[in-house]
Amino acid sequence: MTLHRLFPLRLRQTVTQVRLLHGSGCGHQLEEVAMEPELRKETSVFRTQVNDPACQSERHLGQYYTLPTSHLHTIFPHGLPARYQQQVKTFNEGCVMVRQPPAVRYLLCILHQEGNDLYVSKRPVLLTLTGWVDGLKGSGKTMSLCHTIHYCSTQGWLVLHIPDAHLWVKNCKELLPSSYHTSRFDQPIEASNWLRNFRTTNERFLSKIKLRQRYTWTKRESTEKGSPLGELVDMGVSRVKSSSDVVGAVLKELRLQAAETEESEGFRLAVAIDGVNSLWGRTTIKKEDKSPVAPEELTLIHNLRKMIDNNWCGGAVIATLSQTGSLYSPSSAYLPKELLGEEGFDSMDPFIPVPVSNYSEKEFESCYLYYLDRHWLQHPHSKTDEGKKEIIFLSNRNPSVLERLCAFL
Amino acid sequence: VSASSIGRLVMLFLVRWSRYNPYYLEPEPRKELYNMPETELTTEQKEERELKAVRPIKATTNSTTSSVFNDPVLSKFVNMMMRDGEKILARGILTQTLESLKRKQVEKYHKAPQGKKAEIECNPYAIFHQALENCMPVIGLASIQKGGKFYQVPVPLTDNRRRFLAMKWMITECRDNKNRRTLMYEKLSQELLAAYSKEGNVIKRKHELHKMAESNRAYAHYRWW
Repeated sequence: MTLHRLFPLRLRQTVTQVRLLHGSGCGHQLEEVAMEPELRKETSVFRTQVNDPACQSERHLGQYYTLPTSHLHTIFPHGLPARYQQQVKTFNEGCVMVRQPPAVRYLLCILHQEGNDLYVSKRPVLLTLTGWVDGLKGSGKTMSLCHTIHYCSTQGWLVLHIPDAHLWVKNCKELLPSSYHTSRFDQPIEASNWLRNFRTTNERFLSKIKLRQRYTWTKRESTEKGSPLGELVDMGVSRVKSSSDVVGAVLKELRLQAAETEESEGFRLAVAIDGVNSLWGRTTIKKEDKSPVAPEELTLIHNLRKMIDNNWCGGAVIATLSQTGSLYSPSSAYLPKELLGEEGFDSMDPFIPVPVSNYSEKEFESCYLYYLDRHWLQHPHSKTDEGKKEIIFLSNRNPSVLERLCAFL
Repeated sequence: VSASSIGRLVMLFLVRWSRYNPYYLEPEPRKELYNMPETELTTEQKEERELKAVRPIKATTNSTTSSVFNDPVLSKFVNMMMRDGEKILARGILTQTLESLKRKQVEKYHKAPQGKKAEIECNPYAIFHQALENCMPVIGLASIQKGGKFYQVPVPLTDNRRRFLAMKWMITECRDNKNRRTLMYEKLSQELLAAYSKEGNVIKRKHELHKMAESNRAYAHYRWW
């Protein structure tokens, strides 16, 4: 009865649905918990056998679950941070930590619950992962994004993952004027790389989705209406010159078709962008007459902005703001308003900010135990209490600083 | 300038490498000694403590820490690798070396079958110390003049000199004999692993020195100390 007073109707549905979720799908997990209440001592438990993100709940906070190797190669050909990829190679396994409610759990709850409402709502659900306290660099935003993408993939969603949008606005080796629109510029290399990775991630959708429109690339080449998406993507990978336009076409088709309501044809779209603040910033790319290129003049960025606009339904946009790769922004900027700018904030509005902060004590414990288990902390003093206190002091429980510190200890 | 005026000057500008008045005591960075309760101190330590309350203490270098992870041999190595006073760069290279050593060994460990796991040494510090030990020469050569000519005479070396030679050879080997594209930490980690298993160019150099000393055995009596 208290529910009625505390929560309005819609959120009440949320709470009941979430309860049902945890009750029905993972009933066996709850029974296990009932049988071993005393064994859950924080010091010894840092791994969990539950590898499916859908079944992970608050009980698994701070624990590591293993990413199956097949998923690593298909879902994340380009998504994981470089140091994490090195770690996966060294430890011969990829383990991700299930983090606190303010970060990924909240996201997963919302996504799972909203999943059934998505066809009804008029707009995509926009979630932004921001570094919350004190300009937090290295607090685990990209890893949280990857955790969410793993969840979406296992639930059968189509994942559109842009690993680092900052890479598209700087250091461009080849800039071609766009064939479709005269004032815009193409980036063939980045576009074809992205299409190749997109193909690896979403193999099973490529033959199911049919095109709604006819696309003409040159006088002799065109893709007919009704042909599968896979053909379009292959064309973009092989014909590098028109790959940026192919990317635009792919995004448009997915946007139109994500709103399908029929069970067999419909799919849900998850757009995951890392470093979304680069879409509204400045670029370092210059035209031939040395004048700077604005982000709107790049085809890839223009098409991405259309994805973030609120005029399609049937999916979610998950984005990370990062100052690290961004151009012309001060290193102390961490709030969404500062990083996105006026224009960016208005187009991302309304969004749900999800803060990602440093490790809590429990999370730090489990990270420490994980490194000990994988024989990563080798210095004899690092296994003592004094050494541990020193590690906490030096790293302030920041995930990336901790990782770099333990690398040579 | 008399000793007392030097002492007074030093009190005004406490510069590390100027000649300190012997009145000044050495600093003590280790934490355990300060945590010991009163009862466990011997008489000498009690006297030392009373002295420290009265006398001034020399300034420490920037690289002294009270951290548990402090290693004097590694600090020496970093100082030898340093060029133009860029200690941060030298220390960064060393940490990258230790990391890459550990990565290679841990990867081998995780891929090895159960029986072979115990033989693989994963601790980069242990590998570093063992490799240096394997590179240290036992006997050295000194140039001694006798009857107008200079002879290379085999001579025993002090511990400091041996350690210095091992580190010097390691660093010069990695600087000179590497490909233009390989980075210093990569080459260092390769050489350290080779020295750990008693192979590689540095070990070869040590053996050549030993052979030279053996061949010049006849001149050993030219040494007078």
